[in-house]
Amino acid sequence: MSEITSLVKVEHLVKKFPVSAGLFKTSKSFIHAVDDISFEIDSGSSLGLVGESGCGKTTTGKLLTRLYDPTSGLIEINDPRAGRVDLASLKGQALKDFRGRVQIIFQDPYESLNPRRTIFDTVSEPLVVQGLGNITQREEQVATLLETVGLTPASSFLFRYPHELSGGQRQRVAIARALVVNPSFVVADEPTSMLDVSIRIGVMQLMMELANEMDVSYLYITHDLAVARYMCQRIAVMYIGKIIEKAATEELLSHPLHPYTRALISAVPVPDPEFQRQAIPIKGGVSAPIDPPDQCRFYSRCPLADSFCRNNPHPPLEDKGGGHFVACYKV
Amino acid sequence: MTDLMLQVKDLTMHYKTSKGEVSAVNNVSFVVEKGQSLGLVGESGCGKTSIAFSLLRLLPDNAEIKGGDIILDGANITDMDKKQLLKVRWKGISMVFQAAMNALNPIFTVGEQIVEAIQVHNPEINVAEAKNNVTDLFTLVGLDPKLMDRYPHEFSGGMRQRAVIAMALACHPKLIIADEPTTALDVIVQDRILSQLKEIQDRLDMSMIYISHDIAVIAEVSDRIGVMYAGRMAELAKANEIFKRPIHPYTYALMSAFPSIKGPKKSLTTLPGEPPDLLNPPSGCRFHPRCPRATVQCRQETPPFIEHSPGHFAACWHPMEVENE
Repeated sequence: MSEITSLVKVEHLVKKFPVSAGLFKTSKSFIHAVDDISFEIDSGSSLGLVGESGCGKTTTGKLLTRLYDPTSGLIEINDPRAGRVDLASLKGQALKDFRGRVQIIFQDPYESLNPRRTIFDTVSEPLVVQGLGNITQREEQVATLLETVGLTPASSFLFRYPHELSGGQRQRVAIARALVVNPSFVVADEPTSMLDVSIRIGVMQLMMELANEMDVSYLYITHDLAVARYMCQRIAVMYIGKIIEKAATEELLSHPLHPYTRALISAVPVPDPEFQRQAIPIKGGVSAPIDPPDQCRFYSRCPLADSFCRNNPHPPLEDKGGGHFVACYKV
Repeated sequence: MTDLMLQVKDLTMHYKTSKGEVSAVNNVSFVVEKGQSLGLVGESGCGKTSIAFSLLRLLPDNAEIKGGDIILDGANITDMDKKQLLKVRWKGISMVFQAAMNALNPIFTVGEQIVEAIQVHNPEINVAEAKNNVTDLFTLVGLDPKLMDRYPHEFSGGMRQRAVIAMALACHPKLIIADEPTTALDVIVQDRILSQLKEIQDRLDMSMIYISHDIAVIAEVSDRIGVMYAGRMAELAKANEIFKRPIHPYTYALMSAFPSIKGPKKSLTTLPGEPPDLLNPPSGCRFHPRCPRATVQCRQETPPFIEHSPGHFAACWHPMEVENE
């Protein structure tokens, strides 16, 4: 079944970065930024990738847009227009065509827009690169899209520069730029974390509406479970390069199984002074993912860990029923 | 009135810029009782941090306190000279800054920096004594005292934040201002630091002012909450009260725009528009261009900040009715 519907299929994806050992020395250690992860994103559905800083969320996003080349593993994008492609093997024209179907929205709208280019230049650039339309058509298309993302009237925004816009407006420009080529899949890397509360919801709602209208799926990268709850049908929790739990959003939030997910959920503050959270203590802090030992990544902090966890490799991600996957020996 | 730690009356503060005067804080009044915590919440540019810097008189050169009084434990800070201020800072009020990385000096060990802070403000304490104090402070904030000879770059983000908290506690202040103390941290670390701050506050019976854009964080740690908008205090009440019965439309909007992972998934509502430019703030109520309840009166007259029910203050011409419990 999943063969037909899955838009993105990631299998055993690995990305290691060498740790610099000094000039003229071959590096012997590697940062295991993304360490053997697999997931699928169905067409028309969005996956939230949640975890703490340094867990490999952003690296995954960059791998899926081929801004990084994977060390090993398979990334398959199944685009109705171009059929199934293996991302790692793409080169030249095929890679350029792929960029027309997969886009990325970055976290910081203050840094992701070129300050010397007008909004029109910025939003139309993907069209120019892809060689779509002539200048009149592009202008028309950009204007329509700016109205769609809530920058109205478009004529008053087309020839302005990023510094004339507020953070929320800039992020809307970044969304327009990502969507102008009609991609089927967009990686959104913390698109609202820099925005104020009253602006954030507007941008989130816009992204959801556009997903429905333009049939786009997101890989939504965020550290904020509450935001993921509103944006995604499914959530995958990452911990030091591994996906340790994934399930449908409400299932994950109401019945977390992995001890790390439980601790993470219990640590999220709730906007209600009367709500008593049950703190689930875990030990220590996140360790560096440099050549981690071959055991559960969460072993050193886990309240459930025992000798079995110590002596066995990182547990596989297993289906515990109803598509709720967990990587833990103790669940 | 001995139970008041801090009293801020009609504080007004402007920044002079090349484009004109920015009205960053406008007629803000609040009190902090002894042993209590006040949370100031609002979006960027609403004046939260400007208030904090005004309280410590740490303002940049282009800022000017135009009016109002800041009374800390009976002493008026607004008309103190530099010498008197030196005594208030650290011992009276101290501050936990937002960017813990920038608040520590990279070329001194964390211990040395805290010892220095103690000695500058208490010249009678010698190094050995001060070091003992640092050991106690480290234990208090949950850091291993052995770490005091390490440099800031050897600390993780959470440890640095703890070190900054230890430093703020160094001279036994009566009031601590925590400006976004956990914003750059991951949730699990944030959770630990917040509970530690609460515990320390209880144990030392201090007063606290928490500043954050995150109403969930503020809800966790504050006894009373002040909601700020565009340089003015929109609403101020007990934490429970403000969450159950917000009467200012902005507070209400802020709360309905905040996603939570607990409880049923409620639909989030957006607030139209964006916060105003304080170089040229809107007339009357500064919230009126975005307010669903705005009328002609809101455009023309500034609503007074008055008590609507005991202990529940708001500045609004058309406060929301007390809705169902």
